[in-house]
Amino acid sequence: MTGTGVTNVLDVRKLSKVYGAGDTAVHALCDVDLTVRRGEYVAVIGHSGSGKSTLLNMLGCLDAPTSGRYLLEGLDVADLDERQQAVLRNRQIGFVFQAFNLIPRTTALANVELPLVYAGVGRRRRRERAMAALALVGLQGREDHRPNELSGGQQQRVAVARALVTSPALLLADEPTGNLDSQSTADALGLFDRLHASGRTIVLITHDDEVAERAERVVVVSDGRLSEAPARR
Amino acid sequence: MSVVEIVRFAVRGLVANRLRSLLTMLGIIIGIAAVILLTALGNGASQYIQGQIAGLGANSITVLPRQPPETAGTSGRPLTTGDVQALADPQGAPDVASVSPVVQLSTSVDAGRSRTDAIVVGSTPSYFPGANVQVGTGRAYTDVDVEAGRKVVLLGRTVADDLFGVGSDPVGRDVLVRGVPFDVIGTLAPAGQGQGLANPDENVLAPITAVQGSLTGFGDLSQIVVQARSTEAQAAAESEINSILDRRHGIEDSENRDYQVLSARQLADVLDDTLGAFTLLLAAIAAISLVVGGIGITNIMLVSVTERTREIGIRKALGAPPSAILGQFLVESIILSVVGGVLGVAVGYAGTLVPLGDFRPVVLPSAVVAAVGVSAAIGIFFGAYPARRAARLRPIEALRRE
Ligand SMILES: Nc1ncnc2c1ncn2[C@@H]1O[C@H](COP(=O)(O)OP(=O)(O)OP(=O)(O)O)[C@@H](O)[C@H]1O
Ligand SMILES: [Mg+2]
Repeated sequence: MTGTGVTNVLDVRKLSKVYGAGDTAVHALCDVDLTVRRGEYVAVIGHSGSGKSTLLNMLGCLDAPTSGRYLLEGLDVADLDERQQAVLRNRQIGFVFQAFNLIPRTTALANVELPLVYAGVGRRRRRERAMAALALVGLQGREDHRPNELSGGQQQRVAVARALVTSPALLLADEPTGNLDSQSTADALGLFDRLHASGRTIVLITHDDEVAERAERVVVVSDGRLSEAPARR
Repeated sequence: MSVVEIVRFAVRGLVANRLRSLLTMLGIIIGIAAVILLTALGNGASQYIQGQIAGLGANSITVLPRQPPETAGTSGRPLTTGDVQALADPQGAPDVASVSPVVQLSTSVDAGRSRTDAIVVGSTPSYFPGANVQVGTGRAYTDVDVEAGRKVVLLGRTVADDLFGVGSDPVGRDVLVRGVPFDVIGTLAPAGQGQGLANPDENVLAPITAVQGSLTGFGDLSQIVVQARSTEAQAAAESEINSILDRRHGIEDSENRDYQVLSARQLADVLDDTLGAFTLLLAAIAAISLVVGGIGITNIMLVSVTERTREIGIRKALGAPPSAILGQFLVESIILSVVGGVLGVAVGYAGTLVPLGDFRPVVLPSAVVAAVGVSAAIGIFFGAYPARRAARLRPIEALRRE
């Protein structure tokens, strides 16, 4: 499952996604090709409704494409059964949702611990790592707050902590700074920079040019088609 | 992902929705308590009545004359001493232990200044075991008394109380039965309520010869009391009686009989049938409440899973395998039905401790097992169904549900 010999962490070929059928069908993605190398930091930009989240959901094994192939660490995801995909999501991928998706009526700490529970990490160890992840996003002292007791930005940071807690090789984040003020955004970007420096592969969606500038590579999605933005640096 | 973690998630899920969990459990508690309580009521009533019937004398059979229906075209024959002799023949009626001819009259009994009404029963000594009558004080009359036609009596408890005062021992005193003097040689043990056909407390027992000689004349018998060899032999004894009397009375169609055979067993059979129907009715009512309780669990599990489809999506996105999702919801419904079931049994059992009139409800263990089993099965099955569906959703589909 590790496949460390493969240089392309993500390898997407002719990927299409159609929502619905017949007259109401929406072609959210059309024949998208994308490869991401190990340790790359990629920003995805594009207008609202262009298909960014659709793409990221498929990269995170949360949704299945209508057609095309998707290799993660050289493995075709379509060949994996439910349980294997669950293991993949748990061990390889950290996912930050655009809508945070914290579990309601459950403390920040328990939310962050959740992926570790499914990974089979023991209680004490789990707690330590979850506390560390919360500290990393500047939320120490808020462990026992429930999502409805946290601000939007704080919830977003809990979501980031939850994605980081398993130390995944691949971090997929859907507008992780969308709800943050400039200071928190700077903190979060600093965090991503450090993760990138430590060799993690990062794909993040953003509307913010400042955020996109920090990435090594920027891809643009428009009307379901993908194009490479001219290289800078 | 250990079982402990799954159980912890389930408990957390239940605690997070405390009120809903309690209300669901209440449905199961009421259902199970109702099944246990209602079947216990039916069972208790049945045991109580069977106990009462046992008090009637299980081996006792009474033969009474009867007016045959008009279609028979005859007014029927009375019961006679000839019938008694035929029934006492061990060849024709091997299952009969004893046969007692009985003459009865209802009359007044005097003792000095007091007087009361009583039923005077003239018979032979075999009447005492045959009709399940016990002597309280003094002695029973004997075959010698019968042969000699001695005017001796035993007074039922109520009669003795009325004539000589409550709790008195009238042995050795005299009474006048319709003006004829009799010696009191004993009293009968108090029988109390519920002795059914005849209440010996209100009887006066005397040798048949004395009653016939001085009160009724030597005519027909009022009844014949037969004792079967054993409780098991009772049905056989009854059919022997029928065939002997049918032959002697020239009866071809049992519809046209000029006598009837009564026994505690027949009474018990009739009552048992009635009680059986009664218990069945109660069980049906109870089953309905159980089904309602089960539907309660189903409903709540459906709501719970639907409402938390998003949560399921999040868990799946974070790497929960389908088995963990299924396990969590399954354990939730198992906890609900097991805790509800145990509380329901406790409530139902507590309910049976309340005595109702003369009898107590008696818990049927099979009802407990069935009630708990059915509610658990319903809970688990219908809890599993929506959980399975949810566990199979693609994470993103589950996340999109609102
Ligand atoms: N479940 C769905 N059913 C039907 N159409 C959908 C569904 N999800 C997304 N779409 C459509 O697919 C297109 C792409 O949606 P997507 O969520 O990927 O956009 P996005 O680029 O992430 O936009 P934003 O920047 O606003 O988040 C949109 O036109 C949207 O309406
Ligand atoms: Mg989006």
